[in-house]
Formats: sequence, C-alpha cells, structure tokens
Amino acid sequence: MFDAVSSLISSVFGRGSSLSVPILDGALKPNNMIERATILAERQGLEDIALDPANVLHVACGREVLKLSDNGEFTVAASFDRPVTALAFTTGGELAVGLGNAVAVGGRVLDSADGKPFVAVNALSATPDGGLLITDGSASRPYAQWSHDLMEAGRTGRLLRYDGNGRVATLASGLGYAFGAMVDARGRTLVSESWRHRLSLVEGGRTREAVPALPGYPSRLAPTPDGGFWLTLFSCRTQLVEFVLQEDDYRREMMRTIDPKYWVAPALSSGEDYMEPLQGGSVKQMGILKPWAPPRSYGLAVRFDADFLPLYSVHSRTGGRNHGVVAAVQRGDDLFLLSKGAGRVLRLSVAEIQSAWTKGTNE
Amino acid sequence: MSNTLTKLRYRYWPDHVFGELLQKQWMETAVPLLVLLLTIAFFSSRIDNFISVANLSDTLRQASELGFVVLGMSLVLIVGGIDLSVASVFALCNLTALYCINVLGLPTPAVIALTLLLGAVLGAVNGVLIGYMRMRAFLTTMVTLIVYKAIHDLLNFQLAVAISSVVPDVPAWDFLGNGDFLSIPTVVWVFAIVAIASHIFLTRLRPGWYVMAIGGNRRSAYNIGLPVNRVVAMSYMASGVFAATSAIFYASRLASPGADTGKGLEITVLTAAILGGIRLGGGKGSVTKAVLGTLIILIITNGLLRLATPAGAARLILATILLLAATLDIRWFKNRHKAVQELYVSPSYLELPQSPPTGASSPFALNDRLRAVEQIGLGEVESPEDVILDREDNLYCGSRHGEIIRFFAPDYKRMEVYARIGGQPLGMAFDAGGTLFVCVGGMGLYRVNPDRTVEKVTDETNRSLLSVVDDSRLRLADDLDIAPDGRIFFSEATIRYEMHEWPTDSLEGRGNGRIICYDPRSGKTHTVLRHLIFPNGVVLASDKESIIFAESWNCSIKRHWFAGAKEGTTETVIASLPGYPDNINVSSDGNYWLALMGMRSPAFDLAMRKPAFRRRMSKRLPGDEWLAPNINTGCIVKFNEKGEILDALWDLGGLNHPMITSMREHKGYLYIGGISNNRIGRIKLEGADPEFVSSGRYNV
Repeated sequence: MFDAVSSLISSVFGRGSSLSVPILDGALKPNNMIERATILAERQGLEDIALDPANVLHVACGREVLKLSDNGEFTVAASFDRPVTALAFTTGGELAVGLGNAVAVGGRVLDSADGKPFVAVNALSATPDGGLLITDGSASRPYAQWSHDLMEAGRTGRLLRYDGNGRVATLASGLGYAFGAMVDARGRTLVSESWRHRLSLVEGGRTREAVPALPGYPSRLAPTPDGGFWLTLFSCRTQLVEFVLQEDDYRREMMRTIDPKYWVAPALSSGEDYMEPLQGGSVKQMGILKPWAPPRSYGLAVRFDADFLPLYSVHSRTGGRNHGVVAAVQRGDDLFLLSKGAGRVLRLSVAEIQSAWTKGTNE
Repeated sequence: MSNTLTKLRYRYWPDHVFGELLQKQWMETAVPLLVLLLTIAFFSSRIDNFISVANLSDTLRQASELGFVVLGMSLVLIVGGIDLSVASVFALCNLTALYCINVLGLPTPAVIALTLLLGAVLGAVNGVLIGYMRMRAFLTTMVTLIVYKAIHDLLNFQLAVAISSVVPDVPAWDFLGNGDFLSIPTVVWVFAIVAIASHIFLTRLRPGWYVMAIGGNRRSAYNIGLPVNRVVAMSYMASGVFAATSAIFYASRLASPGADTGKGLEITVLTAAILGGIRLGGGKGSVTKAVLGTLIILIITNGLLRLATPAGAARLILATILLLAATLDIRWFKNRHKAVQELYVSPSYLELPQSPPTGASSPFALNDRLRAVEQIGLGEVESPEDVILDREDNLYCGSRHGEIIRFFAPDYKRMEVYARIGGQPLGMAFDAGGTLFVCVGGMGLYRVNPDRTVEKVTDETNRSLLSVVDDSRLRLADDLDIAPDGRIFFSEATIRYEMHEWPTDSLEGRGNGRIICYDPRSGKTHTVLRHLIFPNGVVLASDKESIIFAESWNCSIKRHWFAGAKEGTTETVIASLPGYPDNINVSSDGNYWLALMGMRSPAFDLAMRKPAFRRRMSKRLPGDEWLAPNINTGCIVKFNEKGEILDALWDLGGLNHPMITSMREHKGYLYIGGISNNRIGRIKLEGADPEFVSSGRYNV
C-alpha cells in the first residue's frame, strides 16, 4: 500500500520508480575466483556445458556438440545445421540439444508447445523421470537477440516440460525471460527469470518467487550433490541500465539507430571496443580500472543450498576477462564454469572455494 | 519537427540561469523582497490611497520605530540567541524618557543619554546571564520580560499621573517624534543612518564578522579564539540599546505612559525578523532582511487595520504568518542545496556530426604503434596532463599534488620537484627566456621563472555583462600558447564547474568555456571568445596571426585570427573527430599533433541529443553511474591546417600507455602525457627532424 502511494507520488513528479540495485554483499561478497580459475579450454562460440551419463564433459559450441577431455581437448560428438543454444543429457543418457526454435532429443525434433512454436530455447535440464525441462526465453526474439528482449521488457518466456514420449506441456508462461530451470532433489521445479532478477518456483501452473532481488541476471542452474545448486548470473545489474529501461524515448531511438553491441545494456564481455558506452566510475585512474566500477559485464556464479539460501559465490569483477558465465556443472570436487564472454571453460575446486570462504581469504 | 522544437527550446531557454540564480547569496533576500511587493500589491488593490504620501510618511515613521527593535532582535538572532524581553525594555525606557522630560525636566540630550543607558543596562543583564553564565536565551529573556514588565507596571502606577499632568514644551524633543527634515520624518533619517551603519558593521567590520561566525558555529568560533562570551553578551546589550532608541522616538511622538505600552511587541518583532529571512538557528541574516521584514509586518498590520479587521483576527493572522514563515525558513534552509542541485546541472542539445569511420582504409586506421612506448617515471608521477622539454632536453610535467616535476636528460631516470604550484598544472609553455608558463586548474595562469620562483600571471578576466555566475575568476585554465608579440592565449574549459567536475560539464555539453588573452604589455586579461564547448588545446598557427584550438565535447578543431587581415574571425578546421580532442602542439614537419583523450560512443552521442534524458540521469543516478565520454582509449593524430588527418598512433589495449591528453615532439621523439595516468610515454618518431624543439620560440 505504502509502496503504491510512494510510487504514485514519484510518477507524478516524474521521478520514475526506484533505480536501486541490490549490492554484492554477504554470500555475494566479490572475489576474483573466477578470474583466477584454471582455464581448461578456450574456443570461440562456447554456449553450454553438460555431463553425459559417463561423467564426461560435453560442451555446445557453434553448430557442434564437443566432448571435452580433462586435459582440455575437444572432439566432435555431434553436429547440427544450426547453432546449438542449449545442451543436456536425459537420465536415460540421450543427448538433448536446443537449436534456437527447436529441441532435438532421442531422434525427435520438438518445435512447439500448445500450438505456439519455440522461439528462443536457451536451456535444457533433465528431469528424474527421463524427460526434460525446456526454457523458451521469449516469444518474440530469438536467443541471439536476448538484449532486444530485455530492452523491450519481454515478459513472454515459457517453461516447458517434455515427458520423454514426444509430448510437451507448458508449465509456466509470461515469464520475464526464462533462462534455465531444474527439478531439485525435493522434486520442486525452479526457473530463472532473468529480467525479473529472480528464481521462481513453479507449482501446479503457478509461479512463486523463490529467490528475489538478485544483483544480476540469472541464467542456467546446475544441481549439486547435497540438494542445492549453482546459479550462474550472466551479467550484473547497473543503475544505468535500470534507468534506461525507464527512458522509453532514449531506449527506442537507441534500439533503432545503434548497433546492439554498443547499447546501454548488460553484456557478456566488455572493454575490448572503445565504442561501448562507458560510465563515470569506469574511467581509468592512474592506469587502473577500479573493480567496483559499474559493470557492463561480469562473471558470477552463486552456490545455493537446498533451502534456496545463498552460501557463497565466485566472481570475475569489472576489468576481468572471464565474464558472462552462463553455465556451470559440478563433478565431484570440480566446478566447471562456462564463460561465454571469454569463450572459456574454467575449472575451480569446490573444496578450495569453501575453505577460502570459511577462512575469509576469499579475495 | 519535434526535434527542431527541442533544439530551439534548448538554444533559447536559459535553463542554466535558474540554478545559478538560486546559488546566489542575494537570492535569500529576494524572497522577502518579493513578499513585500506582493503585500503592497495586495493592499493597494484593496484599499484606496494605500500608497499616498501621507500614509507612506506615517508608515515609514512607525516602521523606523519598529525597525530599531527588529535590528536589535536580528543581531541577537544572528548570534544564535533570542531576546523576548525587548517589549518590556521598550516599555520601561518609554516610561523613563517621559519621566525625565516631563517630570524632571531634563534637557533632551540628557534624556536620550539616560534612556539609552537604561536600555544598555537592561540588555546587559540578559547579556551577562546568557553570555557569561551560559543560561538559556529563551528562558532568561522570558524571565526578564516578566520582571521588567512587573517593574514597569509598578512604576507606571506611581508615575503615570505625574507624567500625564505635564505637557513640556521642548522643541528639540518634539522634533524627534514629529519633526521632518526634507519632508522625511526625523526618525526615518536616524533609522536609515543606523541601518547603514549596522550593515557596514555586520558585513565589513571585524566585530560584525565575529557575530556572524559565532552564530554560524559557536564551537568553531570558540576554537579559533573568538571572544564568544563577550560578543554574545554585547549583542544582548545592543538589543537593549536598540529597544531604548525606539522607545525615545515613541515617547516623543505619543507622550503616552500607557500600561499596555509594548504589549506583544516581541511577537511582532520576531515575526518581522523571521519574515525577513533571518534564521532562528543563527549565523544567517542581514540588515536588509531586517528592514524588509519590518516593512512587510507594518504594511500587513496597517493594511489589516485599514480593512477594519477586528484586533483579535489581525493578531491571529500575524501569528499564522509567523508560523508559516518559520516553517518555510526551516524547509528552505534544509533543502536549498537540493534545489540548487536539481536546477544547476542543465544539459543542452548537442548534435554532433556523424563520427568519421576509423576503419582500416581511413586515416584513423587502428594500429598498435604506441605499444612500443617507453615509460618514464612509472608510478612516480600522477596526472601529468601536459609534458614539455626545455632546450637542455630536461622533461617537465605537472602532478596532481600541485607540483611541477622535472626529469633530467638524457635518460629521465632522475627526477626532482621543479616548483610547487599548489594546484593541478595543466597546459605548459616555455618562452624564449626559459620562463615556464602554466595553466593551473582552479587557480589561473602562473609562471615559473628560471630561478624557480612561482608567480601568478593572471587569475581573472573581464566579467561578462549578462553572466549570472561571476565569470571574472578563472576556474579551469587549460592550455596555452605564446604569440610572437608576447601575448598569451589560453583556454578556459568551463566557467560553471571545477576541474574535478569535468564529467558534469561533459554532461551539459554547453558552450561553457572560452579563450582568454593575457597581454603582458598592459598586464590586462580579456576574453577573446565565449561559448565554446570545453575549449582545450591551444597552439599558435603557422601564420603567427591565429591560434588553433580544440573544443573537446564538440569533437572539433577551430582556428581564430587575433591579428592580420582576418582578425577576429573564427573558422572550423575539423568539424568532426571520432574522439574528444585535447592538447595540440606543433610537429617538426609544420603540422600539428593532436591528442584524442577518448573516443566517441554511439550511446553517448545519442544522449547528447537528449538533454532531458541527461538531466534526469544527473538527478537520479550518482556520478559514477552516469554515461560518460569514453576516455579510457585514446590516440594521437597528426593533422594539417586544411583539416586533413595525416597520421594516427594507437595503443588499443592501452597496456603501455592508457589515457592520452597531451604530446610534445622534441628532437625526434614524441613525449606523451595523460591526466589520469601515472607515467610519461616516449616514442621515437621515424624521419622526424632530430633538432626540432617545439616551444620556447617567443618571449613574453
């Protein structure tokens, strides 16, 4: 009630709603663990990562699915006629890939649900019964144009469920960009809503906020053995982007006249091109880009427990390279992160992360 | 269409003026003045002949009487107290004056002296209690209000009959209350003199400054050694004297020892002072405000009287006004800086021409030729905006610590502080005699003589007629060059912001800067060109009759003739650069080196065409979050007077030399400086004249 009144007052005075962005604190306290992580492999076009039933790493890269050995060598496992936008293995061991507007699994090609075609399939996740969770980010913009969808305040994401026998059902729709989902150890269905900066629980056709007010844009999830999960956030929010999202006139002209890579919008990588917009805090002082500068791109993965509480996080801060982390997978003590911004697969030791956080040496 | 309207609106509507006006000290007085005019207008429209000579004369007479008391109250308010006892002091003094003249028959000067003395003593009681014994002003003066009133009532009971039974015939005494001089009442003359004297006292004299300082912050005033107790005590005494003065004129005019004399005076006086804008908290106020407040109150009370408002209602109205004024006073004082903040930053419409391409076939083609830069003084210098070399090849640069650093030739490993300036040195130039002229941010144009003494050359120019902010002071002298006749032409990047606030100026994109000329023959400084958009680098052109200068946010290079056939004209050399130009210096082949401190980004260019967007951004986001010109990547280009780009040197990763604001060619090498850098760069130029020295051609 009070919020409603104050937002009404704000809109009368032309102030718009609040531009505050949650700060990185507590379990999200910044460190450089992603930036210092071991680089397992580097390759242009990396998109998603998954483990096959034999615990072998597979990555989606360009139009191919590649097997990635532990010493960083790629071998082609499958190739397709379109870029692969999502990768998973069903519990039955079948390879499942998202191909933008379709999903190929076990010789079947799925391309619509409830009569509506897929547009931006961006994540797949195996369900215990041998099926798949599919997130279709937007009904209007293909996956590659995710920043268009953000700038248009897209609310057309869908969470779909494939039952393993050719039927696809809609679990939730009207999501603020669906990007990653999973069924957790207790059987609950979680989905990332990037533009709403939250994780939602989907129960019986209704969505409920599970983890609100994230400081970044959540993307794919990866379960951990203890029933928790890793959440990747592909970029951090900034007040400037929140502001531009409220500035319709500027935003429309920007979308009409400027190349998307130079938009005021979150990015998967930054700092390589001087035509990118720059914010005041990002001006280098004495040759140093301050790590607290507003991030255009950022690398972040957060470990949650089974009760959806964040435990700790790993970062690559402003000025770093390993940004745009969109996928994670944990195998034993190894945490593999896929930095789409840098085109790298990174390896971290979970035990080392934990001990650094307990000892407070997580710098 | 709407675009054209936006352009026109931002070209002709002076947004920036409002914030500037609000920042002015005298704006505080403008508010009560406005209220006064409104009050006069209101009553003039309701009452016939409200502004007649007779009425005016009568109002002024009363106003002056009241004014004395208000002055006293204002003084006490300014020092941080309050004096409620003025009404009783006034009544007692009135009674004393009448007793002295009517009953005792004393001569007028003696009456005046005795009454003033009594006022002083009564005020001094307050002063001692509050100033020295540290009692609460409100309680103490309320007590004295009651005590003095009781004494007055006792005396009045005994003396009233005696006073009333005599009507003295003393012309001098009558002249005080009812006389005129040049058809203006005596009391008005006296009040005018006292008011002017008080104004001079408060604004020009040391004790007046003590009063302001103590009211502003008592503890600080005490800490710097001001006699706080004495000044506070004296101000209460002065308040008593002012009340006595008022009482003398009142006694002379009315000769009435009534029991109700001065009743409610303290409320009227307080209302007047606060309506005038004198703060209850102390430290702020002026005589003008006291006078304005008095006039407002008097016009309101007289007006209400003439409108035949019942006495109670008039009081109620006055009390309401006091309440409103006090509330407004507190709100305004708290929020004024916010209002200034809201209004001061006023972005303008700036449409830049299409950015020229920087592709492989363009003259700006990207390369990494600057990657081979040698580093000088890495980590030892901070913020070398400009670099310069003398004839012995020693290298000089500024630092953000306010020093000029010298690196010794030939290897530049050794350094020393050449001179201490105290502000950030920006552009530099040697004259033929080895004197180093330096533009210093926030200070002006300085010179370092060969014997290392530092002297101010100039820190002000002629004030322009219509500028609200005082633009005579130099706020951000930026770069300079010396003409053959010794005149120094230098740029001042902005007159609206300090050096560290340059991002805000970039957000405005208005012509806030200027080119200024210092003439050593007359010692005078005058403004040559105004309304330039962050003028930055300045260099003397080859014809020695013109200067070439850069306009940073406008991404352009212009040329201005200060002598010869084209004297006074300005032409554009380069209309559109892909980045923000900074310093310009000559190259050995007769062309010019230009530092691009940063590159344009489409998102920022678009924002420059959206002033309202930028205004909202500046209000709603902290400075670190603002969209800013990208000055993390820069380059050096060479251009000629036709505006053609001849060469470009880049270091894209910015590993060896991020951030370039200046470069200087010297004996086959190019030396590079950068304002947010911690090193100086040096690179060998292929095929450059190994004997070339870029500055020190002319004497000042």
